[in-house]
Amino acid sequence: MSMLKRLLFGDFPAWDDPQACQFRRVQIDLDACDGCKLCVTICPAGVLELYGQKGHKKVRVLDGVRGCVSCNNCHAICENQAIKAVEHFAMSGYYRSEGLGEFQPPRTSLPGPV
Amino acid sequence: MSKTISEARIIEDPEELDEEELEGEADPESAPVETPEGADWNTVERAFLTRRSIRKFKRKQVPAHLIHRMLEVARFAPSQGNCQPYKFAVIRDPKLLVEMEEYCVDQCKQLTAAVNYTTYKKGSFGYYKARVMARLFNAIDPNMLHPVPVTAMTSIAHGKFMVFHRAPTVILILMDKHGIGVPEVDIGIVGTNIVMAAESHRLGTCWIGFSKLLNKSKEWRERLGITDRFEVSEAIAVGYPVGKPWQNLIERPTHEIAWFEDGEKQILG
Repeated sequence: MSMLKRLLFGDFPAWDDPQACQFRRVQIDLDACDGCKLCVTICPAGVLELYGQKGHKKVRVLDGVRGCVSCNNCHAICENQAIKAVEHFAMSGYYRSEGLGEFQPPRTSLPGPV
Repeated sequence: MSKTISEARIIEDPEELDEEELEGEADPESAPVETPEGADWNTVERAFLTRRSIRKFKRKQVPAHLIHRMLEVARFAPSQGNCQPYKFAVIRDPKLLVEMEEYCVDQCKQLTAAVNYTTYKKGSFGYYKARVMARLFNAIDPNMLHPVPVTAMTSIAHGKFMVFHRAPTVILILMDKHGIGVPEVDIGIVGTNIVMAAESHRLGTCWIGFSKLLNKSKEWRERLGITDRFEVSEAIAVGYPVGKPWQNLIERPTHEIAWFEDGEKQILG
């Protein structure tokens, strides 16, 4: 699309529209989480917080806060493997991603056909 | 004794190459590595798999000789036509880093105010003005208006996110705009050498695209000694990471692979 075409007809998503810009949330295993706060500290998007009583704290996603880009640093750093992002963010229109499949760990065997 | 170029044998027809003669005597040190399917990740692969973008650093400074080692590894990165279209600026002065951060935050504030219409009351003058600006920016470079960088920029403007993440060392990669072909690609390659060398020392790194904002300032270009031919292309923040981000292998989406073999095409994922 040419610059002029984009200027006249091109559109961009409403950045605060949760339907057009779906940032992902994370899966948390509450039994495994020991509330060490490491993931909360390192989360680049700042979407995590601790809750609960002292000594029994668990992690959760801040209510109404968006911005998780599924970087999975929380998964990488968690000593109890209690947290991970399982889906990539999804944007609409021009920014819709293509060619991406399901989340997988690194595989040492040949992948099958999709 | 080393051979000069005129003494070296010139091979005219590759078909005449005697593979056995070229390989020489069997030398277990230089034998190809036989890796069976399903074998565990080797050290190099594992380093790539466990490298994360680190945005939370310990205060401890990285020894200067380690940064120098990383830049030595960088010097041997491949580049188009071996033109090596880059030079570096290493910033380890806390005062300078704070000033760089402040300048970039200020720029993010201005840009957020200019284009992020969602920060204005719907229907207000500011809302429509920002929408017009966003449309203009979108026509010039839509990739910059992706919701992820816009959200990051807005968070920086509101003090909820940082540009250089208080890293003790920041390496600016300055691109020679006269480089062969697409010098931006060479920046990506040389930077990968830097971050992987850092990873081998268990140092954390993060690519800082917002460092490009420094180019807009004549004052910063002068302070950093950036001439017209060069521009800040990327920055790499370096420091000791908090926790052990190499602990677990993470998951990522698969990427479509079109595989052509035996006259057939398969789509793998």
